[in-house]
Amino acid sequence: MNCPEFERILPEVLEGGHTAERQAHLNSCSTCSNLLADLSDISVQAKTLADSAEPSPIVWNAIEAQLRSEGLIRRSAPAPATPPWFRRWQNLWFVPVAAALAIVVGIKFYHPAGAGENIQTARHIVVTPGATVRPVSSEDQQFLDAVATRHPARQARYLADKHNADAFIDDAKEVVKDNPGDVYAQQMLINAYEQKQMLYDLAVDRSSGQ
Amino acid sequence: MTGVSWASKTGMVLALTGLAFGAGEIRKDLHFKVGKRPMVSINNPYGPIVVKAGVPHEVVVSAILHSDKVELDQSSSRNRVDVISHLLPGADQNTGVVEYEVQVPPEADVTVHSENGRIHVEKLGGDIATEGSDSSIEVLDCSNGHVHVKTLNGPVNLSNVRNVHVDIISMGGNVLLSGVDGPFVSVNSNSGKIQYAGDFGDEGEYDFTSHTGDIEAVAPAYASIDVMARSDQGHVESDFSLAPKHTPFYVRGGKSFHGTLNKATSSVKLFSFSGRIHLKKRQN
Repeated sequence: MNCPEFERILPEVLEGGHTAERQAHLNSCSTCSNLLADLSDISVQAKTLADSAEPSPIVWNAIEAQLRSEGLIRRSAPAPATPPWFRRWQNLWFVPVAAALAIVVGIKFYHPAGAGENIQTARHIVVTPGATVRPVSSEDQQFLDAVATRHPARQARYLADKHNADAFIDDAKEVVKDNPGDVYAQQMLINAYEQKQMLYDLAVDRSSGQ
Repeated sequence: MTGVSWASKTGMVLALTGLAFGAGEIRKDLHFKVGKRPMVSINNPYGPIVVKAGVPHEVVVSAILHSDKVELDQSSSRNRVDVISHLLPGADQNTGVVEYEVQVPPEADVTVHSENGRIHVEKLGGDIATEGSDSSIEVLDCSNGHVHVKTLNGPVNLSNVRNVHVDIISMGGNVLLSGVDGPFVSVNSNSGKIQYAGDFGDEGEYDFTSHTGDIEAVAPAYASIDVMARSDQGHVESDFSLAPKHTPFYVRGGKSFHGTLNKATSSVKLFSFSGRIHLKKRQN
């Protein structure tokens, strides 16, 4: 088993799905074992918030510190102790979304280049607290509700797919914005939305497959 | 006498062992009489679905249920056959598994869904729609219909699919098209790689789009194509010496190109946001 293969089954491992092969890879690869340890910590801390109406700033700070220590985020401006955006998100769904987002970011960007994987992401990723939290539409909420009933490993995959679909939409929007008359850029944006639509269809319409 | 006793005991042990091993699995065979070009739908949350061409006017469904936590719901009316694996309380991705082997008339329209099982469709001439989350999806030796594929992270493989309208949407699953042609072939991928190997047929439209996934198209020197390629943040290259053509967008070296090869009867569009695009010449 190599690093990309381990990353693919990481959601299962996080749920305790250890096998001899996976353990052997963890024993031989400090990068993956550190990644697993970090994500496990995040997951454990997120679960402690399940009964609270508002996530503790400690957890957000821990996630933020972890991402910053990996060089994945940078602070664009000094943040207030209790930022305004924070007060808007007092629903319970924020907790799994924030934790899943951190896990997704961790899975996607933690792995260093040169570890045997063909890294696709060439863009410079700047994640600032608040900037990654997009408005939640009724369709988003329906999707999140449907996903919340799934097996945790499946949840993680759905949320990762949503993250990728949203990233495609954002990038395609930028291209359209830079080239307003470009019909091919517009088609790419349509394709990006089609991906998200498919994701929602499969997650919501097929709720029988738990 | 002693020998007989031992033989019978051994036989009993073997029989009981067989019963124990087979106790969890239930086999069901369903037969449906249908008319011309029936519509067959199989919805199976967990487990593989293999669909092949059988005899006209009959649909045969062979299913192996892995436990009593799942049952088959079936319905048929006139030319429509629906089979659903109905998960009962307590079913999971192990106990809810059903393995399907389905034979349909060659011209049947088929819709199949599986969350994680392999989907395999072979030698059909009707419309085919497949959906899966992590399922590997294979469509082989099909012709003349429509092929719709929706998958999140399962690999997709279409091989020897001729004169077909193809529409594939994938998030992370790699898409491999080998010997695929038709009036319209579209692949829309997020991070999965798109690979095409073929001659792009005659008078078809081929649209391949990705977000971060690479796009690789391998064509012979005799291919007749008008090809446009662009990657906003990735690299684009072509092994062919294409006759340049005007593009409606600004062409940046290494980021985009537009040109024709031979009579340019088919249109090929390769677009990615940050994936690498490579139009390769097939080495004969």
